[in-house]
Amino acid sequence: MGVEIIFYATVVAYAAAAVLFFRYLAKPAVAARAGKTAPRVLALAAVLHAAYVCMASIIANVCPIRSIHFGASIAALLATGFYLGVRRRWNIDALGAFVAPVALTFVLGSRFVGAADPGIGGGFLALHVTANVLGDALFLLASGTAVLYLVEERRLKQKRASSVFGKLPPLDALDRAEHLLLLTGFPLLTLGIITGTAWAHRIETGSPAELARALFAFATWVLFAAVLVLRALLGWRGRRAAYGTIAGFLFAVAVLVVYLVRGPLGGAGGAT
Amino acid sequence: MIVVVGLSHREAPLDVRERLAIDGEGIAELLRALLQRPAIREALCVSTCNRIEVYAVGQQDSDEHTLAAAEAVRHALIELAGNQGAAQGVGPYLRTHVRRDAVLHLFRVASSLDSLVVGEPQILGQVRDALEMAKAAGSIGKYLDRATNRALHVAKRVRSETAIGEGQVSVASVAVDLARQIFGELTGRTALLIGAGEMAEGAAKLLVKAGAKLLVVNRSLERARQLALEFGGGARPWEELAAALVQADVVIASTSAKVFVVTRAMVAKAMKARRGRSLFFIDIAVPRDVDPAVNDIDNVYLYDIDNLSNLVAESMQGRRAEAERAEALVQHEVRVFETWTETLGVTATIVALRAKVRAALAAEVDRTLTGRLKHLTDADRKALETMIDAAVNKLLHTPTSRIKALAADPRGDDLVKAVHHLFDLADAVRDIDAAQKPDSPANEGENPADPEEPARRGQGSTPVAAGSEGVTLALPGGRETLGR
Repeated sequence: MGVEIIFYATVVAYAAAAVLFFRYLAKPAVAARAGKTAPRVLALAAVLHAAYVCMASIIANVCPIRSIHFGASIAALLATGFYLGVRRRWNIDALGAFVAPVALTFVLGSRFVGAADPGIGGGFLALHVTANVLGDALFLLASGTAVLYLVEERRLKQKRASSVFGKLPPLDALDRAEHLLLLTGFPLLTLGIITGTAWAHRIETGSPAELARALFAFATWVLFAAVLVLRALLGWRGRRAAYGTIAGFLFAVAVLVVYLVRGPLGGAGGAT
Repeated sequence: MIVVVGLSHREAPLDVRERLAIDGEGIAELLRALLQRPAIREALCVSTCNRIEVYAVGQQDSDEHTLAAAEAVRHALIELAGNQGAAQGVGPYLRTHVRRDAVLHLFRVASSLDSLVVGEPQILGQVRDALEMAKAAGSIGKYLDRATNRALHVAKRVRSETAIGEGQVSVASVAVDLARQIFGELTGRTALLIGAGEMAEGAAKLLVKAGAKLLVVNRSLERARQLALEFGGGARPWEELAAALVQADVVIASTSAKVFVVTRAMVAKAMKARRGRSLFFIDIAVPRDVDPAVNDIDNVYLYDIDNLSNLVAESMQGRRAEAERAEALVQHEVRVFETWTETLGVTATIVALRAKVRAALAAEVDRTLTGRLKHLTDADRKALETMIDAAVNKLLHTPTSRIKALAADPRGDDLVKAVHHLFDLADAVRDIDAAQKPDSPANEGENPADPEEPARRGQGSTPVAAGSEGVTLALPGGRETLGR
């Protein structure tokens, strides 16, 4: 019963933070207070979220990082924590308007979509899930940053003084943050791919879901690699990098969706 | 009477205004060309990045002559666009105002009520410059001189009596804000100044204040060095412009070149060398210095004067109430000016009447002073002269007031004719009118823009200057001002 209350409190807190962020972005001049309150409410949501994951794991007697459903939830939690940690230093406050609703979606998705996963066996797979969860958290932030970049870039190109005039982070700050998030997340994704491929090779189920997931995972890796390499070699930054990052994240989400909607793999768990 | 023909940001986009963009020498040439046209007696040109307008006065005060003057100015402007190589005409964009509307327009322009950024302060100086240029070109006479000076007076009143200029957001400050939206902190960034101009230097100053390093490229390396020294930056010769684009983050272009000095190909090449780093162009020049196509290149942002001004205007919507107060003030001043132009028609009559009465009294006193009163001292004689002036004032105060009061009335003409007839003033009035024309031999060598000048010097046959607050007379016995 207590776990249920904490879960719903988490949902309400994430929703409230999202509303406050949107309100602030829509009318920064009149909603300055909302702008100050939003990160605090988001921090409260993250604390409640962490409490929920701990209590639910204890009750279900499963390690959080060894369950795909908890994993998705933890990815959202880590993304929120990371955002709260760097938002001021990287000047990406407005990204909260992306982080809060996405975290809310992940929390609800992990709870209500698909059947519960009985857990993943073995330390090797725990490493696999941990790498992917951390990587997804960073990619979530990177794609959110990319979306904000595209919104702001479009406004500046079209010379519009919109209602969010001057309130989104500077373009260069968004571009730099997106690049750093990708750079940090890419090794984790690579580790996830290696461990996932090895595990998939071991169980050799060959189901369509497994193949789709593997394909999406490799596409994610190729896209992110391309974004990073083209930036380093040809100076592809800004809009092109933003589109690449968003596309890569959509493939990463596709992998998660396959995990969440498919049935349990005979107690074996899944791999990226 | 006064007519204005021209175009502004209201009806003509930037690429149309570029077809008529002229600098100081071009304005002088235009004014000289206008004076060559028989229909035009006076001319003044206000040329800014947002407008080019020619104010003119016809040979006589009639609808026919006024419209002829308007047509002559219109032709001159269309010819100017053709001479500047404009492939398309400017005719459809030219707007004309005549008489009261023309004066109202001039007052509104000078008061910054017609500006894209209402309340901006630069226009006052630009109208003052226009007046100086017209004076230098010898194209200004009593009507335009009076109207322009009143416009400057109104503009000052508007600025001091309303809050229209407060909390001013300038084009330069918006440009710097935009740079911050692209780059964040500007410390360590490089701002490149191409050419120079008041607004460009203002933006450069703000960028340097925000921590940017300044680089100046100018066709004159000497001028570039001067500017660089002033702002503590570096100077580069014109040939190194392409290389400077690789180094810069913010580029402020403000040359008087007639063609693009920064082309799409130059920027595309620079962006490769920059490895995609963002580049922000602020093009304040009219005609534009930077090819608009550069805005299509990834990570390149180009804002021209219209883009910047629109952003400024949008940020100042709250200034409407002050603008309404300023409009009321301008309307009042236009009525004052109209009264002046109406009394202008009777001024010669008043001057002639006063001169005749004073001359008659002075002749009688002179005769007495050489006869029975020749023993009087100089002090006594001076006292008698003062007495003559006082007598003239008292005697003619009521008739003068009534003539002026009826100046705008249809009955005024009859009254003036009656006065001419009763006092035999027709010839004297004709002489005074002739002396007041700007091309009169009596005005040669004098500043035609300053009708008070002959009176101040106490010479010439132009003994009058009429002000809206009264009529100033130069009489043999000294000057005096009559209240209205």
